[in-house]
Amino acid sequence: MYLYLPVALTSINALMPMGLGFAVGLLSGLFGVGGGFLMTPLLIMMGIPATVAAATDSNQIVAASTSGTYAHWKLGNVDFKMGLYLLAGSLLGGGLGVQLIKVLKAMGNADFVIQITYVVMLGGVGGYMFCESLAQLRKGKGEQADAPAPARDSGMKKFLASLPLQTEFSRSGVTHSSLIPLLLGAFVGVLAAIMGVGGGFLMVPVMVYMLRMPMHAVVGTSLFLVLFTCIEVTFLQAYTNHTVDFILAVLLLVGSVIGAQIGTIFGRKLKGDQLKILLAVIVLAVTVKIVFDLTLTPDLLLSQGGGH
Amino acid sequence: MSYDMTQTNIFRGLAGMVLPLLLLLPLPAGAEVAQDAREPLTVKLTTTVNHDHLYIDAFYHGGTVSVRGESEPGTDLIIKISAAEGDVSLKRKGKVGGLLWMNVGDLHFSQVPGLYLLKSSKNIAEMMKPEEAERHVLGYDALGRHLVVEPAATESEKEEIVGQFIQFQEQHNLYAQQTGEIEFADENGKRIYRTVFAWPFQAKPGDYAVDVYEVKDGQVVAAAQSAVKVEQAGTVKYLAGLARNNGAIYGIFSIIVALVSGFGAGAIFRKQGGAH
Repeated sequence: MYLYLPVALTSINALMPMGLGFAVGLLSGLFGVGGGFLMTPLLIMMGIPATVAAATDSNQIVAASTSGTYAHWKLGNVDFKMGLYLLAGSLLGGGLGVQLIKVLKAMGNADFVIQITYVVMLGGVGGYMFCESLAQLRKGKGEQADAPAPARDSGMKKFLASLPLQTEFSRSGVTHSSLIPLLLGAFVGVLAAIMGVGGGFLMVPVMVYMLRMPMHAVVGTSLFLVLFTCIEVTFLQAYTNHTVDFILAVLLLVGSVIGAQIGTIFGRKLKGDQLKILLAVIVLAVTVKIVFDLTLTPDLLLSQGGGH
Repeated sequence: MSYDMTQTNIFRGLAGMVLPLLLLLPLPAGAEVAQDAREPLTVKLTTTVNHDHLYIDAFYHGGTVSVRGESEPGTDLIIKISAAEGDVSLKRKGKVGGLLWMNVGDLHFSQVPGLYLLKSSKNIAEMMKPEEAERHVLGYDALGRHLVVEPAATESEKEEIVGQFIQFQEQHNLYAQQTGEIEFADENGKRIYRTVFAWPFQAKPGDYAVDVYEVKDGQVVAAAQSAVKVEQAGTVKYLAGLARNNGAIYGIFSIIVALVSGFGAGAIFRKQGGAH
């Protein structure tokens, strides 16, 4: 069944965005990522203009992450306190990142910086997670896989413990200075704004490796964060750029809210390290695809602007 | 359009009418035609468009537009459907550091028809000289020279970019050029032509001109014009209007629908799943 999209100004087979929504919703429920890094390019391949694809995807993520946050909250996986600190940090970072983009654009090499940041971050994060979780799986045989990894650098640990405003995050079972999640949130916010993505795939490893939170709490808390970021982005896109396509968003979210629920159910059956290694594989696959796009000669040397 | 005829303007005023339109347009002053007195035209060129008013509703997936009319025997025909000209900006990809393909700058195209569908009874290059084709912007070669590109350093660079641009538009079904797709039939001693255009759903709402050119001895000897109107209707019109004119309400509405669906799915699964 074909439906016409009033903002994208194109017609689409309704089953395609529903199926795509379901697949990306599964990833949300499993890994706590919004999935924009997969969804937006696939929508563009379906003939949706780049600006509409990115804006509508954020509207869809609001639904998927609500569904996922709700499911994880029922399982006790959402650390609201940690989430709010990270959120405050990432909002600050996002504002900073937007300014940084303006400076880069004025210097004329924004696209280069964006692309390189994207490849390096995806490749780095994916590679590290892959190696680390593979080693854990081999070593631990899974018995304690969901427990936080022991801190290796005791000097670093002492320094972190000496910072003021030490706070206990009981849901995650960790104690940090309140400044740490604020700073890390800002760091992710800056990068996410530069790359034009929600930042879930960056937030997850930050919470796992730097905040030392258990993987299941990471997924739930990350979804909670993604929800707020995407509400903000959806509103701004609809208000300033008029690029949110309601019909397309509904088609996507019909699939994604169901996918997020099913993803959460699957996630419960997997161990933390298994989840990490799966996410790492997906992130690495996307990295490889981007590297191919960058190095193979394109068919056409023209493209629509506004992908970021 | 390259004709500066008052009829054209009158015609555009009529474009909104649902009735199939019929218009006869002799060439201005008929300068070239009159001098070539060997064979004066006895039959005037006519054109009618069926399905000339397309409504974009929720299930719209493009359509067909058929063009027919009467033409002088022994002439060739070119039928062109085009949209008003505008500007387009695209990113240009290039190699950075000899290795990576990236966007290296913006290209600005002007005098760009948003839609350009052309059918000719014969190859245009065989019909007329390039100058004549350019005068009426007939065919990709003429269109390519008509388009303005900035920045383009040299003529050959422009040619390459324009070729890419036409390919880009073809990929979106907005540009097409076909030869020999026009049927001719004899009805009561009149020579009737007819053809059907597949109307792309990518074509935006707006007014489109259907121009028919009669070609003889390398010259355009007569032209007729008709129109197609594409308009949004129903839900599509309502949502597009809301998105454009009431962005804040539209955005909040979209967010609420997303939140409610997310919670709704959660509630349904909780009832069904149950097993914690």
